[in-house]
Amino acid sequence: MTDIETYRAEAAAWCETMVPAFGKAARKGLSVEQDLALGRRYQKAKFDAGYAGINWPTDLGGQGLGHIEKITFEAEEMKHGFPNVYFGISLGMPVPVLMQFGSDREFVKERVAKALKGEEIWCQLFSEPSGGTDLAGLRTRAETDGNGWKINGQKVWTSWAQYSDYGVIVVRTDPTVAKHKGLTYFWVDMKASGVTVRPIKLAGGDSHVNEVFFDDVKITDDHRMSPIGGGFAVALATLMIERYVATDSAGFGPHLGLFVDLAKDVTLNGKPAIEDGRIRQQIARNHAMRAGLDSINRRARLMMQAGTTPGPEGSLNKLVAVRSRQKLSELALDLQGTDAFAFDEHASPKDDWASSWINAPTGRIAGGSDETLLNTIAERILGLPQDHRPDKGIPFNQIPA
Amino acid sequence: MSILYDEGQQAIATESRRALEARVSKDDLLPLLQTSGKYHDGFWATAKEQGWTALALPEAYGGLALGLVELGLIAHQAGRSLSGAPFLTSSFGAAKAIALYGSDAQKARWLPGLASGETIGAVAFASGPDPLPARPAVTVSAGKADGTAVGVSGGLFADVATLFADENGSPVLAIVDLAGIERRAVDSFDNSRCLADLVLAGTPAETLVAGDAARAAALDILALQAVVTAHEQTGGAEALMEIARDYAVTRKAFGQPIGAFQSIKHRIAELYGLVELARANAIHAAAREGQDDFVIAAAAARLSATEAYDTAARDCIQIHGGIGVTWEIGLHLHMRRARTLALEQGSSFFWEDILVDRLAGEGA
Repeated sequence: MTDIETYRAEAAAWCETMVPAFGKAARKGLSVEQDLALGRRYQKAKFDAGYAGINWPTDLGGQGLGHIEKITFEAEEMKHGFPNVYFGISLGMPVPVLMQFGSDREFVKERVAKALKGEEIWCQLFSEPSGGTDLAGLRTRAETDGNGWKINGQKVWTSWAQYSDYGVIVVRTDPTVAKHKGLTYFWVDMKASGVTVRPIKLAGGDSHVNEVFFDDVKITDDHRMSPIGGGFAVALATLMIERYVATDSAGFGPHLGLFVDLAKDVTLNGKPAIEDGRIRQQIARNHAMRAGLDSINRRARLMMQAGTTPGPEGSLNKLVAVRSRQKLSELALDLQGTDAFAFDEHASPKDDWASSWINAPTGRIAGGSDETLLNTIAERILGLPQDHRPDKGIPFNQIPA
Repeated sequence: MSILYDEGQQAIATESRRALEARVSKDDLLPLLQTSGKYHDGFWATAKEQGWTALALPEAYGGLALGLVELGLIAHQAGRSLSGAPFLTSSFGAAKAIALYGSDAQKARWLPGLASGETIGAVAFASGPDPLPARPAVTVSAGKADGTAVGVSGGLFADVATLFADENGSPVLAIVDLAGIERRAVDSFDNSRCLADLVLAGTPAETLVAGDAARAAALDILALQAVVTAHEQTGGAEALMEIARDYAVTRKAFGQPIGAFQSIKHRIAELYGLVELARANAIHAAAREGQDDFVIAAAAARLSATEAYDTAARDCIQIHGGIGVTWEIGLHLHMRRARTLALEQGSSFFWEDILVDRLAGEGA
């Protein structure tokens, strides 16, 4: 076995030992608060076993291994449905940015240690009511206040803000220059006076995202993580941190095998649905598409192992996988007919078709909408021109509302 | 496991692209559409000179003992340049059948010529919509083949064909020497494929595989060819995506490049997705040659490559507007080829069934 195969085998074995305490059965019927508490214990167990901060520097409490070890572990971990979702954003973006741009290194070290153990959670305060894709058009402002700053405005769609201890935030510090030049990047204490968090209930019934209001929230200048007016570059760095995470060609919905099983179970026109040409075509097409994504991901892994940069085709995964999951989920409900009506709001989108279906629109919007991803492919990979942008080069405060 | 191309393989890609771009142009290919029975001499001469015909055949018979991965790289470039003859795939299929299932004498007789390219091979399995008929129309009895093998790619010039035939109600995989037989040219929408109906009348036939194993063997040959074709389709789709992109950044309307309109740029970005999925599946399938899941991988490659090339042909022409439908610009060469390659070795219907039978545990 190669080193990475040994690593995978050890990770798989460790994950198996965690199933009784943290697997799907252990989580069944828990409230979100109970599940979060279980998640914190799971995160601590990962830390103790050396599976937290796998590719982070050892002096900050990480393991000092490579990206390949990280996604190898994640691929194994993903098979079990452990309660790790609360830490995905925190450890995925804000904390790595803090490691890179935080000026007070003692503070950084303390925060990173607590985040890795699941004791503290960080959120990312980017999107606003006025826009998500158009990040540089944000309106929340920070004005100088003595030696520090005073923040006013509103953020929205902030995942896990209601459980977060800290957040990273991009705000407007100068409205008189072009929109992306007047932004500055800070961290904030989510428990500070003037911060109000209001959960938003989503269509599927859960409330992991929030509105966050800032009313005269005062911070000192050592919260600043970018030059004044240099926040957009740090925000972009946040979004670019890990293009290759462990991906899922099922679009974080059910595996195709579950659809095949369903088609064998139910009948259509008096025959097993698996014999129906319409169903067969969907199975074949979905398999080919998912197999393609799997191959792209395997090649990316091999490139990383070989020390080269994976190709840009990895950016296809979310676009292709989630929208096909949406259609396949509709079809799975069709196959069940009136039996599909019974709905369990707490079922997992990974193994329940109705849950997968009702939560699929979120997947096509969050983290870059389909349309934004297509623009990115067209502009960054294929060199096609940008859309017409009437606000380009105009000072922010002169852009027509 | 999917593979990364090594340096030697990358050199094959670069060299074959250079050779083909120097030798094959749309100006040569357009006239071939209007005459039945001609292929692009330069393309086939290049294939022979460069040793592409020998690539995936055994060394003992003049081959280079490389595999589907390398042949796939050539086919990808051939697809980009619109290969001017079908023989790379048709001869490969015939040669693989002989190499895998033939006797030493049969190998010695046919493989050296197929490897050098002096002999041309064809695969004659299909009957209309069925690439592997339940009851083939061509029969073999007492070593003689009778009946007409229809729509055989490369059939006009093939010296030897692998047949899927009926022998007293049971399938048989056989080879026939085509010297002197009657060939009826099929006047097609893609005439450089040299399609012909082969009229077999007491033609001596040698059995390679008989009985139930013949069907599995024939499917294996089809799958091997399908992976080569999938690379060719991916190459064609990739070329069309690039042509569409290049046009969209130069052509202007309403004061800006048409590529700045999302209806155009998203169409091209979607093509990128189809091309990359097809490429990934094709590379994976080539690397699975000889493994248990090879047919599944070949079917997936075939399905995504057909979708990519057909869609790219439709959309690239659409993006060009009026100029796209002219004879002169030649985009219809790709549109024709996309359909031809979608039909050779079985349509998507066939491969969908092959795939689902296996995924549902009902197949061989």
